[in-house]
Amino acid sequence: MGIYTLTALVSVVVVLAIELLWLRTGILRTWRYWLAMAIVMGFQVPVDGWLTKLSDPLVLYNEADMTGIRAPWDIPVEDFAFGFGMVTLAMVLWVHAGRREERRAGAAPGTAGPRQEQRA
Amino acid sequence: MERGEYLVVMGLCLLITLPLELLLGARVWRRPRRLLVAMVPLVVAYSIWDIAMIAGGSWSYSDEKLTGILLPFEMPLEELVFFVVVPICGLLTLEAVGNVLTALGRLRAGEPVGRVLRDLPHGGGPRPAPAASTGEKVA
Repeated sequence: MGIYTLTALVSVVVVLAIELLWLRTGILRTWRYWLAMAIVMGFQVPVDGWLTKLSDPLVLYNEADMTGIRAPWDIPVEDFAFGFGMVTLAMVLWVHAGRREERRAGAAPGTAGPRQEQRA
Repeated sequence: MERGEYLVVMGLCLLITLPLELLLGARVWRRPRRLLVAMVPLVVAYSIWDIAMIAGGSWSYSDEKLTGILLPFEMPLEELVFFVVVPICGLLTLEAVGNVLTALGRLRAGEPVGRVLRDLPHGGGPRPAPAASTGEKVA
């Protein structure tokens, strides 16, 4: 346990709070979110694995600031919380921005703009 | 070359996700304003976190594998690139998965395979008929 473990967990809580209490896009109740997230976390393994491999690392961690648990390969477990929170936040902000654009386009029917939006 | 290794990894991430935009109609790169609005708060928040962790000595970066270009507050250029590239890969995945699910739904509803596949690179849903836009003006 250390500051990275703590802040990684806090980041996930904050991102979930942003979605559930504030922006409420409803994305967490969609299949596409969970499927996309599973794919993203799958691809995190080779990419993050390359960045953190202890034999020849690009990113060097202070072991005192984390649990020290590294798996698979040498990936600090905290990185998965980091990645989950960051990509979830991106998706929430993206869907929210799309809704806002849609609403604005709907409020001003005379203006030409990208009207075509995807469904959840 | 080796000092560009982190950037090369990020470039590969962009490269392998490009078909999601081009073939599965993710339409993330094609909506730059919306992308900017979504990305700015994220990049700012995660950069602050990163800068704090670097300052606190929680992590550091290989001198041999990074360009050595530092942004304000000692943040490596590569980290900024990471906070832009990885979330965009996530958005491309989200949109592509959504389009594939939409396409599967249309197939299940009995629509012809050819038409569904033809619409996929444009966003998964049925493309508005070209007549619809001109029809509006007439009406």
